[in-house]
Amino acid sequence: MSDLDRQIEQLKRCEPLKESEVKALCLKAMEILVEESNVQRVDAPVTICGDIHGQFYDMKELFKVGGDCPKTNYLFLGDFVDRGFYSVETFLLLLALKVRYPDRITLIRGNHESRQITQVYGFYDECLRKYGSVNVWRYCTDIFDYLSLSALIENKIFSVHGGLSPAISTLDQIRTIDRKQEVPHDGAMCDLLWSDPDDTVDGWGLSPRGAGFLFGGSFVTSFNHSNNIDYICRAHQLVMEGYKWMFNNQIVTVWSAPNYCYRCGNVAAILELDENLEKRFRVFEAAPQETRGAPAKKPPPDYFL
Amino acid sequence: MEWESDVRELKAVGAEALGGGRVGLRIRGWEIESSKRSILTSSLVQQWEEKLQTSHLPEMVFGESSLVLNHLSSGIKIYFNAFDALCGWKQEGLPPVEVPAAAKWKFRRVHYDERFSVFIRGKSSAEGILINATSSISLAIPPRDLFSISCSKATDEVILDYDYTFTTPYCGSAGIETNPESGRGASEEGSCSFHWEDCQEQINMVALASKEPILFYDEVILYEDELGDNGVSLLTAKVRVMPSGWYLLLRFWLRVDGVLMRLRDTRFHCTFRESTEPIILREICWREDTFQALSSKGYPSDSAAYSDPDVIRERLPIIKRNTQKLSFT
Repeated sequence: MSDLDRQIEQLKRCEPLKESEVKALCLKAMEILVEESNVQRVDAPVTICGDIHGQFYDMKELFKVGGDCPKTNYLFLGDFVDRGFYSVETFLLLLALKVRYPDRITLIRGNHESRQITQVYGFYDECLRKYGSVNVWRYCTDIFDYLSLSALIENKIFSVHGGLSPAISTLDQIRTIDRKQEVPHDGAMCDLLWSDPDDTVDGWGLSPRGAGFLFGGSFVTSFNHSNNIDYICRAHQLVMEGYKWMFNNQIVTVWSAPNYCYRCGNVAAILELDENLEKRFRVFEAAPQETRGAPAKKPPPDYFL
Repeated sequence: MEWESDVRELKAVGAEALGGGRVGLRIRGWEIESSKRSILTSSLVQQWEEKLQTSHLPEMVFGESSLVLNHLSSGIKIYFNAFDALCGWKQEGLPPVEVPAAAKWKFRRVHYDERFSVFIRGKSSAEGILINATSSISLAIPPRDLFSISCSKATDEVILDYDYTFTTPYCGSAGIETNPESGRGASEEGSCSFHWEDCQEQINMVALASKEPILFYDEVILYEDELGDNGVSLLTAKVRVMPSGWYLLLRFWLRVDGVLMRLRDTRFHCTFRESTEPIILREICWREDTFQALSSKGYPSDSAAYSDPDVIRERLPIIKRNTQKLSFT
């Protein structure tokens, strides 16, 4: 058994790797990811997965439903880390699978794969807690910069974490982005990872926050038409039912973190496409409490004031 | 893992668990119950949007969760739910808060305007909304919380204008329970009415700090939004019941990363006593400050330092505070 196979087995038990192993793994992953296009070509059959957010035991449920990698070909749409308890193990397992089976798993970047966001929403603190230093966070966030921005399945299904950008009308425009950087606060790369479809908007809209792009049905229609694609598959937004079509089946949101943040009670979904691009959504629930490993202990009384 | 009441402790003070799958207890003439459910399904979200006349709700609305405190002899019911809180949000209708990146985006919008070179910029000051559209716009009656512009180009821009922070002045709901199942027939005792009246009394925080046994504790999230990863907006109600009385904190907690923090706390304290009408004090305390002001006072200005509202509570200045007493007429 190779070191890498041993590491994969270890990570499947939700045991993190040693710091030196993480460093070596990230170096190998970098060599693979650097070769990938901003619009990474993916062949069918493939199973598309949305946000995971460090919910390691729920990702194991995902693999139970979807099958193991490499038997199943996977495309993950980003947001591997933050919010959940096991961002380290979740991301490292996916990364190890990527290094071991580079043609059987595609990882693209979500808005949480960023230095700034992970410092606020959990991954940074988790690395510090589990390793006593921020080195692992540094190795991982350096790898984030190499993750592809989108994928194109059989030239027919465009996949991205967030959505479209007013600065982009063709896939070639995405191909010209220099992606090897921290996610910027504005511009095309930012939009691909951050934007949302919104059915109160027809063309494009601006979030009331003053930053953040919202795109409507006619924007999607013209993008799909000019790029000759059937529909867009994206993640980024929680959907109680696991997936949601919008704008007359021109875009679908896939969400793969069941019982999000361990309290929402939502189901999750993955989208299986067969060799003819026939769709099958597989809906699944969170891992049962007793398989999560965490000790079930009565919490002390909370004398809040 | 949920908090579990200790059966022996309950018995010792004459209290009992509600049982039958319900979470809560009966104690000294009160029935206190929490229920925690999943977030609303997409179809319920749609129904709520129609009822609330909005097209945007928090990402996570725990619409069927609630915390209810029933005083059986008077029929007074104090309760907490997301719907009433969102009605408050809708009514208050604060203007949107801009995130730090907005400055760059303003420049960006102008940039796109030039790119497509078909825009006219209009500002309707009364509604505080910006519209960029082609020269042949037709303005429809503004539905709900944004202006609808029907245009021919997919590049037309609408700037949404609603309080995405879901800030609410909600400080709980109250009513008279007339359901006979609750142990009180409305017809027998006639209707009594009540209101909250400003008072000089204060909630006795020193007494509440004593480590009296906690017979029941629960926290119910009413709604939550991640502000598109720009912070947190969270409304929760938590209660603890001791042999001497119950204490409740309803908290709206907002952090717009890099911009501002808001804490709107409503505290309720009821001391058990033998009487038909309960004595309940309610303290409303609103705190708010900008990251800029906090940093000028020497506090950290990175969002990661502000994940626990209890820790930052003392750093935020009070902007509104008063105490009220439930009064019967």
